Amino acid sequence: MTCDALDALIEAVADGSQPIDPAIASHLAGCERCTAQLAAARAIDGLLSMREVPVPPPAFTPAVMARVGQARWRTERAIDLGFNLAMAAGLLIILAGGAGLAWSLGFLTVGIDSDAMWAFIGSDVTARVLSEVQTLVMSAALLTTALVLWWWVETAGD
Amino acid sequence: MTATPETVLVERCRQGDESAFRELVDQYKGLVLALIARSVSNRARAEELAQEAFLKVHKGLPYFRGESRLSTWIYRIVINVIAGERPELATRSLDEEPARGGRIEPAADDRAFGDLVMKDRLQKAIERLPLPYQVLINGHYLKGLRYEELAEALNLPMGTVKTHLHRAKRQLRHLLETEYR
Repeated sequence: MTCDALDALIEAVADGSQPIDPAIASHLAGCERCTAQLAAARAIDGLLSMREVPVPPPAFTPAVMARVGQARWRTERAIDLGFNLAMAAGLLIILAGGAGLAWSLGFLTVGIDSDAMWAFIGSDVTARVLSEVQTLVMSAALLTTALVLWWWVETAGD
Repeated sequence: MTATPETVLVERCRQGDESAFRELVDQYKGLVLALIARSVSNRARAEELAQEAFLKVHKGLPYFRGESRLSTWIYRIVINVIAGERPELATRSLDEEPARGGRIEPAADDRAFGDLVMKDRLQKAIERLPLPYQVLINGHYLKGLRYEELAEALNLPMGTVKTHLHRAKRQLRHLLETEYR
């Protein structure tokens, strides 16, 4: 056996997983360097098994729970912000849609002849409302999404 | 599938049961902190990283599919946390001997504190090993930790764990012989 071959086995010999067979024994008997290395490997093994195990401080678990709470609060705040923005966007679209509808129906025109206006509305109102349906549906969908989000956050928090 | 205490605990955590997560932290905090503190010698930083590991556990629990044991999954998170702290060690090849930089002097006086110095040298040498070797050595000598689970978390084939452990210790011995004498 050569020194290099034994070097690859030293740790196994040191922890006992490799028995000292005659080849190893005879090499060790005649090689001071490998004997010293085996002693070093055994010493390292001993030191490793004697290393102190750090004990978590009593405040460790409460600190983790506080950080978990903070992280949850941040997530909820982000969801709340999304909800509020969706609500605001939905309301804005509804207002814009309503204003557009009112404008197209002539409600916003000052000094209009009311008889003529009602006659005009009576004949054409359905078509006018239908042209705004897309906007109204979109704003309703946004509001519904916001409400579902709110409901989900409230129930998930229980 | 039979519900083990572990799966019950995970399920309770998923349902948002805070006391279940507290139980989980209490169950694993010793091993998690020990593993991290043995790689990151600054104790305050090690505690902070251990807390971060548990935050990641909490965040990841809804996605934990139970394909591995909970402990293995937690060790994987711990290894990633250490890798984030010491990225240069996480990417180093296992066969590559640690860089022979300038000799690192121990922090204490040799003659006055023989044991302390040796422990200090050992710690510094361990901190220069590639991350998987560090984790293996640190975990192998921890009571209560099944280092087979650690090997699984490190993606090391089970049949080669012993070999890797011996290689890790050989690198450690070479480091101590050459640079920390």
